[in-house]
Amino acid sequence: MQQPESVRPLTTERHHPTGDTHELRPRETEQGNPFTFTPQLIHLHKDHELFEDGDITRHMYLQDLYISEADDKPTLSVSEFACHISGCSAVFSTLEEYEHHYNSLHRHVCCSCRRSLPSARLLDIHIQEWHDSLFAILAQRQDMYQCLVEGCGQKFRTSKLRKDHLIRLHKYPPDFRFDKTKKDRGTRETKRQQQKDTAMEVADDVCESEGVCEVMCDVLSNQLEHGESMETHVSQEEARMAKSDSTEEHADLSAAAHGAGNTSTEATKPRYSYRVPTSVCFGHGSVRGFRGRRGRRK
Amino acid sequence: MWRLNKVRHKAAGRHGDSLEELKLKRREHERALRQARRDRQLVSKRLLLNEDEDQPEVTMDTNSGEQDVVSLFHKLQQTGSEREARLKALSKALRDPSAQLAFIKQENSMHLLVGFLTGSDATCRLQAVRCLHELSHSPHTNVAPACLPATPYLLTYLSGQSTKFTELCLYTLGNLCPESDVVKEKLLAQGIIPALANCIENQRHNLAVVEAVGFTLSQLLQAKDAAEKIIPMVLASSLPSHLLSVLTPDPDFGLAPAIECAWCLHYLTCSTEDNRVLLAHGALLKCSSLLVSLGAAVAEGNKEEGMELLICPLLRCVGNLLSSCPVEDLSTQVGDVHIVVALCALLQAYLQTQPALARESAWVLNNLTAYSSALCSALLTFNLVPGLIQLLPFSQGINTMILRALANIAHKKKEFCVQLAHLGLLSALCATLKMADQEMVILSMDVLFMLVVSGPQVAEEFVRQGGLSLLEAIQYNSKGDIRRRATHLLEHHLLSYSVVKTYLLNL
Repeated sequence: MQQPESVRPLTTERHHPTGDTHELRPRETEQGNPFTFTPQLIHLHKDHELFEDGDITRHMYLQDLYISEADDKPTLSVSEFACHISGCSAVFSTLEEYEHHYNSLHRHVCCSCRRSLPSARLLDIHIQEWHDSLFAILAQRQDMYQCLVEGCGQKFRTSKLRKDHLIRLHKYPPDFRFDKTKKDRGTRETKRQQQKDTAMEVADDVCESEGVCEVMCDVLSNQLEHGESMETHVSQEEARMAKSDSTEEHADLSAAAHGAGNTSTEATKPRYSYRVPTSVCFGHGSVRGFRGRRGRRK
Repeated sequence: MWRLNKVRHKAAGRHGDSLEELKLKRREHERALRQARRDRQLVSKRLLLNEDEDQPEVTMDTNSGEQDVVSLFHKLQQTGSEREARLKALSKALRDPSAQLAFIKQENSMHLLVGFLTGSDATCRLQAVRCLHELSHSPHTNVAPACLPATPYLLTYLSGQSTKFTELCLYTLGNLCPESDVVKEKLLAQGIIPALANCIENQRHNLAVVEAVGFTLSQLLQAKDAAEKIIPMVLASSLPSHLLSVLTPDPDFGLAPAIECAWCLHYLTCSTEDNRVLLAHGALLKCSSLLVSLGAAVAEGNKEEGMELLICPLLRCVGNLLSSCPVEDLSTQVGDVHIVVALCALLQAYLQTQPALARESAWVLNNLTAYSSALCSALLTFNLVPGLIQLLPFSQGINTMILRALANIAHKKKEFCVQLAHLGLLSALCATLKMADQEMVILSMDVLFMLVVSGPQVAEEFVRQGGLSLLEAIQYNSKGDIRRRATHLLEHHLLSYSVVKTYLLNL
């Protein structure tokens, strides 16, 4: 709203008139409270851009060009919504579109590997089968691989057996996207580990923060390896929507991530570091979050 | 004198242009004005038409115009009995810009005009001033300075009694003012400000003249460096009180004089942050009570043509005067708390047709609510908050200002927070927190914080509305400022045992 580079500030905001000088908002109060709002009187200078339309109407009137009904209806614009998840730059014109995007792509996200699953159940199964060391042990001795179809209830000793079951009984396609085995992911796991370490800060009592940007980073790596599952990458439509902005962004992010030790030189690139308490992980859903995460240090 | 209803006829019939062509022209013109404003060169001149004219007719044939002017000039230099007719013809010929140039190129042409201007023949005086008026309206930059020799006389005549003549003098001066610094310096030195003050005082019953004074003064006040020299002089004169007294529109005459004076007051209030002089004159009280009545009229659907031309500068005066007004004086200076009703009415009425006006109303609402508990309370009492909440989807500065105003209310008392939450602000915030506009998101977080800490019921309600997962998602926002706020809310205020327990129990 403000115009830069002018000699005099065009908008002057003041705190309570008694006593205070023209302070900018304090960053944080003593208690570490990050909320900075205080009521402010706003004085607008003659040339402020907020005054532009009114000034134009005034001068149209002076020049005998004023008509009381506007020629063309001035466009009253409505705020857009944007997915704020770091690394995602999708923008939407309605709240519904936003909610759909968020619920489809960011809601059931595995905290460990940042994969997005379409439902809570599939997320549960994924976590269990991929990130639960106990599962691996138990699976050696009993049928642990659940059928993916809700209500079926059958369990199998191996994922191959489950897959066969899915194809034969439930008529699933052989390349069902939510049934990839962990082994397929081997090389990409390690690559991602590298990215993690160089790009993110790690704090002691906090789980290793993994930027959600990895969700989108996967888009790039996915596009290199074709025929990938929908677990990891954003659907085609979303990718198109996020389009050039995000790919540029993520090219930068990946570049920053891959370059070990160049983080210091990448001063201008965004670095995502999060202090996420161990008890909260949105990938599990809020209630789950309180139960704590599996397989992670406390 | 400008009568707004005349404008429509002009727009409709000029040179047989079709409606589409007219629209195009207007749009082009508007673009040019916007660019001029960006370059800080926004200047307008006014042309007072002759009584027999309905539209400003410009002859297409410039060559003959120039020749006419030169020959008329020569003839006028000779003494003769047809001077009045020739002067009249000259004034008509001077409508053409190239004729204007041709005229001033003639040696002693201005001297001649001044002679008639100050001569003993009243009709010649009138025609001479008409000639000067045409010249003052010239688009060429070297024409106006050529009129300088006439200005001391024009100023002297301001204290005269002939209405038409005075009007022409005023509009001529008003057109000359913004020409150049040289012209301004001269006019100031020649005492234009006291002359205007006297004129408006002596002629205050004559609204056409008052309008002309307002216009001329507004031209002076719009100057880039007005704050240094011109404004202090104006504030020290009797002009402020006269301007204020003219603000209430005369039902018969129309809005025009009030419009001019309101714009003068706007230039006075926006150019400086110290508005104590105007506050002492009761400017805030006058402007805000006028807004109350205008707002009421608008709410009833009484939108007089051109009303926004008056409402706009009044809004700006109130907004900027508020920022200079000490908190203690607020109740006496603003007077009627119904100002908030008026502002909300203006917001709603102009939202679709003139969003900029709605935005300015929202700005004033912010300034009103910033430090006044009484006005915040009034917004609640008059049940205006739900209407405001419904405006939160609208961008281009409208929703940020309105959210600020709502934040101002929340900031006053916990009871207000509870009421705001009850009126639907919580669920609205759940939407605004997802907007693309970062300022909206940060503001929303701050408001949410105030609501949540106001009491456990609000916190629980927020949790019930799915607030926890919303905040958890915000913890992954790309901006650190926003992430910290979300984390803080979760850690310190929402994940407390009682809130969670209630939530879990209610599942």
